[in-house]
Amino acid sequence: MDNLTIAATERSPAVDFDFAAGRLSLKGESYPEDASAVFGPIFAALEAFFGAARDREVSFDFDLSYFNSSSAKALMNMFQMLDQAAGAGCRLTVNWFYAADDDTMKEFGEDFSEDLSHVAFNLVSVE
Amino acid sequence: MLSSFNLFDAEEKSLEQAEDLRQRLEQAPEAVRDGIASLIEAYSRSVREQRRLVRVSDRLQAQLASVNQELGKRKAEAEDALESLKAAQESLVQAEKLASLGALVGGVAHEINTPVGIALSCASHLADSTTSMRKLFEADDISVEDFERFMDTVKDTTGLILSNCERAAELIRSFKQVAVDRTSSERRRFDLAVYIRETLASMGPHLRQAGHTVRLACPEGIVMDSYPGALSQVLGNFVMNSLVHGYDPGQSGTLSITVEHEGAGSVRLTYVDDGRGIPEDNLGRIFDPFFTTKRGSGGSGLGLHIVYNLVTGPLAGSVNAESPAGHGTLFTIVIPLSP
Ligand SMILES: Nc1ncnc2c1ncn2[C@@H]1O[C@H](COP(=O)(O)OP(=O)(O)OP(=O)(O)O)[C@@H](O)[C@H]1O
Ligand SMILES: [Mg+2]
Repeated sequence: MDNLTIAATERSPAVDFDFAAGRLSLKGESYPEDASAVFGPIFAALEAFFGAARDREVSFDFDLSYFNSSSAKALMNMFQMLDQAAGAGCRLTVNWFYAADDDTMKEFGEDFSEDLSHVAFNLVSVE
Repeated sequence: MLSSFNLFDAEEKSLEQAEDLRQRLEQAPEAVRDGIASLIEAYSRSVREQRRLVRVSDRLQAQLASVNQELGKRKAEAEDALESLKAAQESLVQAEKLASLGALVGGVAHEINTPVGIALSCASHLADSTTSMRKLFEADDISVEDFERFMDTVKDTTGLILSNCERAAELIRSFKQVAVDRTSSERRRFDLAVYIRETLASMGPHLRQAGHTVRLACPEGIVMDSYPGALSQVLGNFVMNSLVHGYDPGQSGTLSITVEHEGAGSVRLTYVDDGRGIPEDNLGRIFDPFFTTKRGSGGSGLGLHIVYNLVTGPLAGSVNAESPAGHGTLFTIVIPLSP
């Protein structure tokens, strides 16, 4: 399956999905005017990938410095998808990066991980 | 009361009811029970997400509020800084005015010193001669030659005393006018050529000291109804700048002022020196406050800024500077006869 790479814009994160290596990452800020334009292609790619992931080892890095409410909802949908995939056997690790002085981003990570029962979730503070 | 308040009270009640219903569906077919169970699961997930989203937007708004607060604080700080900068500039401009008045007073003292000194020594010479005459008179020993010599001395000294006192009185009159105009910034009618000459006379000591030649070409009889003090300060700044910036010590040059009619109601005054000129790069900045190439050796960089303010303010005209490479500095002001 083809990798998905989308450069960051001022209002949307950089997407770097290296499906072959099992390494996915979202990095940057996310407050797009049209959330579905940004997240549509991301979800399409993830659905295709996890639909066939079986028991693969996959790591997913979230390194976000800011996002708006629609992006938060999209992230929650994404986490639900990840947890289902992990429940189905995929060995999935999520790394949630936050700047050491950014308590808000840390709390978002804690919040989002509440519902995860199959994914290995790491909060990673970055200096 | 407050502790029992729950934003998601209704949702939680619905979930409890749903759970209740599910238990009463014990007898229903398995497919129905599973369907209901997953609906309940989806609903409870949705409530959790709603809680999370509310927290997300609360946090975002809190962030926004503190950013706004910070912004407000910064803006207030910037405004304060601007305010005190303006006050500082104001007081510097004031100080500059005082300093130029000080220089004027210094010039006055120096200029008046000469005629007063001459008159003084003539008077004391006359007093001495009179004393010896009186002695000769009391001894009844005056010769015709003695008397004729005394009369010559009297004629010479009184002539010199008179002319020098007149010179001093005239100087005082013109300085007084310039000084009053500078401080009072009063509007009045004045003869332009006469006034420029008076202003130049008040700068005489500075000019002579450096050995510069001053040329004035101004049609007689141009009467202005304007602010002579402002005009004299403008000319004073041009002249002082030429002296300070235009020439090396010991080097002397020619400063010239040319006045022409400009249309019906205005005059064009061109001031030129043949000094070292102003580099192209600086030309655009010389009217800026605090721009000086002599920082640390007396320049505050306000001279031409004040010129600009006076010409565009009270005099209601325009000022322009040029410095054709190798040909000194040229200032042109165009001002209405009656602003
Ligand atoms: N006639 C001139 N010849 C050469 N340079 C000049 C002349 N007049 C002005 N300048 C340049 O323009 C600058 C600004 O002049 P301005 O009168 O505003 O300030 P200043 O003379 O340096 O300081 P201040 O007048 O406050 O004592 C001077 O520092 C000088 O570099
Ligand atoms: Mg000056």
